Amino acid sequence: MTMDETDLRLDGNGVAGMLAEVFGFEMTVCWGCCAGCGASNQLGAMLVYAHGMGAVACCPACGQHLLRIARGEGRWWLDLRGLAWLQLDEQARMAG
Amino acid sequence: MGRLSWRLADVVEVRPETGRVVTLALAVPGWDGHRPGQHVDVRLTAEDGYQAERAYSIASAPDGSRVELAVERLEDGEVSPYLAGELRKGDQLELRGPVGGYFVWEPDRGGPLLLVGGGSGVVPLMAMLRQRAADGSNVPARLLYSSRDLEDVIFREELERLEAAGDGLTVTYALTRAQPAGWTGYARRVDAVMLEEVGWPPGERPLAYVCGPTRLVEAVAGHLVALGHDPSRVRTERFGPTGVP
Repeated sequence: MTMDETDLRLDGNGVAGMLAEVFGFEMTVCWGCCAGCGASNQLGAMLVYAHGMGAVACCPACGQHLLRIARGEGRWWLDLRGLAWLQLDEQARMAG
Repeated sequence: MGRLSWRLADVVEVRPETGRVVTLALAVPGWDGHRPGQHVDVRLTAEDGYQAERAYSIASAPDGSRVELAVERLEDGEVSPYLAGELRKGDQLELRGPVGGYFVWEPDRGGPLLLVGGGSGVVPLMAMLRQRAADGSNVPARLLYSSRDLEDVIFREELERLEAAGDGLTVTYALTRAQPAGWTGYARRVDAVMLEEVGWPPGERPLAYVCGPTRLVEAVAGHLVALGHDPSRVRTERFGPTGVP
């Protein structure tokens, strides 16, 4: 079997640690809405392509980029243009 | 939930499971417990400062400060050959967690439960089954476990014991590459017919958890939805290209 993009696809679970580090919430149980197709999903269901610097997360319904996250030189970069909204559930807050 | 910071765990036991999988039992100071299905991020740092991080599912049910990971050694891997080959009792390991909440099942979520695992994708499902047993839960549960062959089945003896307890768990194997003489079970990849035979009718509204290599997970989730299962009750965790059950 040859490896292609499909094999490398992960989901929101795989970047839970990175998202928790940035947002301070357990983001896989938080909900987001795709600005492209309007589908709402918990971030655990997002399709994720991870790479050395960060990750791109896509809508499980239509594939649009929801969230891009990268880190480098002591900074985090976030591109949230693909999300119409993102809901942070207080119950998912990581205790300080 | 505890603060998500990197901390050092002590390796208290290294236990071979199969030829390629070892269980690492860790003692994690200050560990607040975890929920079945969660994982930890493990970080290795080379002498030159290069760091590699990987997520590993927790295999054990919550048990004080003890956490067990089951790690499959991938020959071309950057992290797993060290974890599942070099690491010894008494060594230390840097990790953070627990993380994840989407792919989590606890007995109070109810069922019936359909667990489908491919290869080492069975690890978080095992945490769920161990928790179910520890709680004395009799939520009806069916595990469909796809493996290359019987020797590669992780936790085989324990799964036999759990099934023999007669509390409503059944375990079914699909051996995709090689089968022992006289094997009467499934000898192919998980497909829609198999899911219909092993799983629950959609009308019973089972909770499904599917974990393993990405191709398997996406095929199984697609079959379940096509069979009429509610997509919101099918949870998936993709391990990427790890293993080829």
